[in-house]
Amino acid sequence: MLIIKIIAAILLSVSLSIVLFIVQLKSNSGFGSVSNGDWTTSLDTGSENASVMQKAAVAIGGLLASKRESSIYYRLSAIDGKPLTVNCSYRIDGNDYDAGWWSITAYGWDNYLIPNKIQRYSYNNDNLTRDDSGNWSVRVSAISQAGDWLPIGPAGGDEWKNFSDHDFDLLLRLYTPGVAYLQTPKAAVLPKVVEEGCL
Amino acid sequence: MNKIKWLVAILVLAWMGQYGVAILAPHFAMQALYHAVVNQSGENNFMLTPLPDETTRDEVRPSPDLFYGICAYNVESAPVFITALVPEKYWSMQFYQMNTDNFSSFSNQRDESYRVNTTTKITLIGANDDASKYQGEVVRSPTDKGVMLVRVSAIGDQAQQISALNVSGCSAAVNAK
Repeated sequence: MLIIKIIAAILLSVSLSIVLFIVQLKSNSGFGSVSNGDWTTSLDTGSENASVMQKAAVAIGGLLASKRESSIYYRLSAIDGKPLTVNCSYRIDGNDYDAGWWSITAYGWDNYLIPNKIQRYSYNNDNLTRDDSGNWSVRVSAISQAGDWLPIGPAGGDEWKNFSDHDFDLLLRLYTPGVAYLQTPKAAVLPKVVEEGCL
Repeated sequence: MNKIKWLVAILVLAWMGQYGVAILAPHFAMQALYHAVVNQSGENNFMLTPLPDETTRDEVRPSPDLFYGICAYNVESAPVFITALVPEKYWSMQFYQMNTDNFSSFSNQRDESYRVNTTTKITLIGANDDASKYQGEVVRSPTDKGVMLVRVSAIGDQAQQISALNVSGCSAAVNAK
């Protein structure tokens, strides 16, 4: 009887461990991340100094991420606390950023590229339409838009695996970033994302 | 009282267990990636992957703007020689050990722009190997197995980048220890 109790207790502990682990990943707390407006970035991604939870988060949500000296990743999954949803349209406004190369990509809640008819998943420093001052705008929407349009829609993953509060997120990659991103990641210049309307 | 003891024990084990899961997760993820690469190209071979799209599932959060070249290396019995022709557009080479740590990196940006249009040759050695035995750039891998990843810009005219990747290589030294 005691052995059955011990086995049951172990199984329950393991199950609870996995639930707690998922909750920790979802809450994203204590992972050495900092906020810059609605964008967040992890300071120790890819580093041997990263915490065990941070390494686990990278393994699940960004395997083979580089150290920040090589690339900095800013992620945005909510605006003013409101999770990004495919039912709303958004606009990203920006100019240029001190990096060897940069891009903005939309990912579904499943961490993969979002299926869409025109197979457009991202924009980068080389293919944005700019005005004379170098300013650019990208519309993020499930509905076709004029100009630079980043289509969104349902992610390709099985819906039963979805524990996210957002439908998709935006990832800004800055490869070989400049000093501002390395030394003051909370204040460095980043694109602005605004909600334009919802269905 | 007995029930409370059991409950406390379960909760304490569960709290500690979440960190155990967190410690194991990177190793499982890297092992899965390592075996996926080995199944496609073998150990110590450089493999190009197609430009990522919505069907790509081998890599989490792939960049659709980058070509990826990958090598699942094993320096247990011999060093691994890596060569890469470096194009003008963005190029980087990253080394990862089996717990996801990015322990070494090279690029053609900023201080390393001298690499453009040259061939980078790297000798990848084991943790206990003697680096002084080898010439040129030597990288020491903390673990026998790991992954080397080359990222190359897929922006604009892709001919030079594809050519550079096609002549890149990753191979074990012929004279094993």
